[in-house]
Amino acid sequence: MNNDKLIDLVNISKSYGKNLILDDLNLYVRENEFITLLGPSGCGKTTTLRLIGGFESPDTGKIIFDGKDITELPPNKRQLNTVFQKYALFTHMTIAENIAFGLKIKKKSKSYIDDKIKYALKLVNLDGYENRMADSLSGGQQQRIAIARAIVNEPKVLLLDEPLGALDLKLRQDMQYELIRLKEELGITFIYVTHDQEEALTMSDTIVVMNQGYIQQIGTPEDIYNEPENAFVADFIGDSNIIPATMIEDKVVEILGTKFKCVDEGFGKNKPVDAVIRPEDVILVEPDKGIIKGKVTSLIFKGVHYEMEVMANGYEWLVQSTKLVPVGTEVGIDVDPFNIQIMHKPESEDEEAVALDE
Amino acid sequence: MKNVAKKIYLVLIMLFLYLPIGVLIFASFNDSKILGKWNGFTLKWYTQLFENEAILNSLRTTIFLATLSAIIATVLGTLACLTMNRMRKVPKSIIMSITNIPMLNAEIVTGLAFMLLFVGVGMSLSLSTVLIAHVTFCIPYVVLSVMPKVQQIDNNMYEAALDLGASKAYAFVKITMPDIMPGILSGFLLSFTMSLDDFIITHFTRGSGFDTLSTKIYTEVRKGIKPEMYALSTLLFVTVFVLLLLVNKKPAKVTERSKHAKIKKYIAAIASIAILVVGIGFGVTGGAGNYTQEVYVYNWGEYLDPEVITMFEKETGIKVHYEEFETNEEMYTIVATGARNYDVVCPSDYMIQKMIENDLLEEVDFDNISTSDNIGQQYYDRAKGFDPENKYCVPYCWGTVGIMYNKTMVDEPVTSWDILWNEKYKDSILMQNSVRDAYCVALSKLGYSINTLNENELEEATQLLIDQKPLVQAYVVDQVRDKMIKNAAALGVIYSGEAIYMQRENDDLEYVVPDEGSNVWIDGWVILKESENKEAAEKWIEFLCRPEIALMNFDYITYSTPNDAARALIEDEEIRNSIIAFPDNTILERCEVYNYLGSEGDDLYDSYWTRVGAADSE
Repeated sequence: MNNDKLIDLVNISKSYGKNLILDDLNLYVRENEFITLLGPSGCGKTTTLRLIGGFESPDTGKIIFDGKDITELPPNKRQLNTVFQKYALFTHMTIAENIAFGLKIKKKSKSYIDDKIKYALKLVNLDGYENRMADSLSGGQQQRIAIARAIVNEPKVLLLDEPLGALDLKLRQDMQYELIRLKEELGITFIYVTHDQEEALTMSDTIVVMNQGYIQQIGTPEDIYNEPENAFVADFIGDSNIIPATMIEDKVVEILGTKFKCVDEGFGKNKPVDAVIRPEDVILVEPDKGIIKGKVTSLIFKGVHYEMEVMANGYEWLVQSTKLVPVGTEVGIDVDPFNIQIMHKPESEDEEAVALDE
Repeated sequence: MKNVAKKIYLVLIMLFLYLPIGVLIFASFNDSKILGKWNGFTLKWYTQLFENEAILNSLRTTIFLATLSAIIATVLGTLACLTMNRMRKVPKSIIMSITNIPMLNAEIVTGLAFMLLFVGVGMSLSLSTVLIAHVTFCIPYVVLSVMPKVQQIDNNMYEAALDLGASKAYAFVKITMPDIMPGILSGFLLSFTMSLDDFIITHFTRGSGFDTLSTKIYTEVRKGIKPEMYALSTLLFVTVFVLLLLVNKKPAKVTERSKHAKIKKYIAAIASIAILVVGIGFGVTGGAGNYTQEVYVYNWGEYLDPEVITMFEKETGIKVHYEEFETNEEMYTIVATGARNYDVVCPSDYMIQKMIENDLLEEVDFDNISTSDNIGQQYYDRAKGFDPENKYCVPYCWGTVGIMYNKTMVDEPVTSWDILWNEKYKDSILMQNSVRDAYCVALSKLGYSINTLNENELEEATQLLIDQKPLVQAYVVDQVRDKMIKNAAALGVIYSGEAIYMQRENDDLEYVVPDEGSNVWIDGWVILKESENKEAAEKWIEFLCRPEIALMNFDYITYSTPNDAARALIEDEEIRNSIIAFPDNTILERCEVYNYLGSEGDDLYDSYWTRVGAADSE
């Protein structure tokens, strides 16, 4: 991965009527990166993608592509292609005609087009489907055709708008590997939009977490998961215990009236903060051996682990463990200092949304 | 058991739905003119149909009109759908409802509204007004069939096309259009069908000089038994039926290529309609010929030998736009509102009087009509009853109202109206279902004037008609003729002109003008004040007054001609001296013409006539 910015969004704002969708957004995409825009619906991720694709134009700001301003360029003049959420295959055409659509517009020769169709169908493991009609294929097959149709045009960037959203779980997981493989083979940039954090964590080089039109955090999947920078990110990525706490001093945090050791520094003394503890990081021990005491109040079997709720010091802790602890058992709670993530407490609603927007 | 009941039920429903049409189709293949009498299978009505230039003309007009209005409505309707689809939900549904309302609106209201609009803005009714009306009522059908398709448009597909490098126009043509094409096609076919079989709106908005199939069928059938029209109606039904099958046909879901072939077939069907239309369209315009002048004639239905028009056009180079009406009142409305521009019209006596009083008529310059002397002076004298100075009207046809009776069913001599009150003929008597003719019978029987406004006399006549009611089989208009020919009644009140025709069909029938007297009526040619072709109108009247032409018309329509010179040319002595066709003066002296009674007089008669209608017949 090199560090050149292939796409640069500068000070982008966009609103529909009174709804502000994006507010002064800045984001760049490097060449050959698999970047995922992740967030709940309405966070502005799809709008960002559509701005890049050229289906919307920003109210303010500009979009630089490969050093050129493409803000006002219509979609058909942009060197990128999109894979739509609902596949958007041309239902009245055959698979071959679908794939050839862009190439015919570019007036490529027939033999070139035929070769490309063959190549693309092979790439998505659907050889021999040339003469089928689009709507006779399954969802997963249609999505692969949509990808094939996009990549034959040799775009520099492939935009994917929740491409797996309409597929069932098993297919979705298979397609995730498929997409990673495709990206490796093609060696182009993928910009991927999803609300599914698991998808984002599995496939991305970089994740951009968004909420209410603001970027909350940009980082590698590991960064985002392990070091959420605010409560929104922590809450959105995986399950979390987000507990109001007070930073007593460097490396000491008081959670629910009890002092815990942590590794964070520089928050000042006696400052209100949020402490984030992942449920798999909560260790259940004998009542006397933990830092605080509690009692198991519920228990669910989840397959790989048990999920329990433990009432301790007036807070219901979410705990995941491979060991079963029956409801009603008195337990002690212990947490490794490395697994306590301290976050600034937002002082207002607004700040909660903006949070990280430096 | 349940299944059998279900099947019977289904058969009954089907019978109920299709029996009338079945009868029509059956009649179109019947060698006999009389319904209910099977003389064997024939295709002659169909062959005659295709030899009739007037019908072929109306066929051309109909297809031309249907295609053009379907094309325009389809384009407009589709654009409307695309625009509506971009609106927000609430205004969209409001507009959708608004476009749907005309579909549910009573057609007669729509038709009337269009006529008023066109006349109101000073557009004279013509092919273009019909076209506008048809386009308007077709648009909702297009919207109805295109809108669901438009709503299903996957905007993603359009954007995907842009994404793949297509321009907006290319994406619309290649992606959006094929997607909504089935809707557009069925919208087109539906419009075509609606326009093809529309009668009411066409009837109200059409101008002089052309007919569509439906208005043609209407006028022709009103005139009498016309099996050609059954044939034409059958063809119209079959066409509409096939079109609707096409509209409702859902292309089967196809997984492979062949889908394309289907769409192409569909398009080929439409293209062939289009080619047909273009050809016929040329026919419509091509028919114009090299005429220097034109004349718009408005006449009773079936009241002129069509050959006469051809001869007139050939001799004078004047193009005749020939139109027909059914009743004096209908004609009056059209002429008085100025909805259509006519030059020369043929109303009846009392209507001529009304038109004179309303200043609608131009005085006739008899110097320009050299042949007007062929009309016997006695007819001019009689016309003074409604045209006191003989300034406006040249008599064309005349006749009496009398009793037609079947000699095999009535054994006593018929000399008086009294026989219509004879218990012996209960349920064998046919009366005219028209206020003036019914009162003519009753007032004459009482010895009063048929134009009386005396309420006591009218009261008496009304009571008489109420007394007669239990004896009457039916109050009808045209069916007197058909029923009497079929021996379905013994006695009927009828016009003398019909009597000659009926005697030709059934030897047992005899006509008489009762001794108490009756109505003598005269229809005559008048020129309208608004006429723009007065010279041509005068030539028209001049032509019709020629003896040989009047004779042609007499042979064709069998109503008595006032043209003495024509009468002298009649070869068949029996007819020339027929007391029915040419009653002698002793009979005529007993008879009176109808006068225009004014709107108050009309109302008075109507109110009494309503009482007769409401009276219990038992």
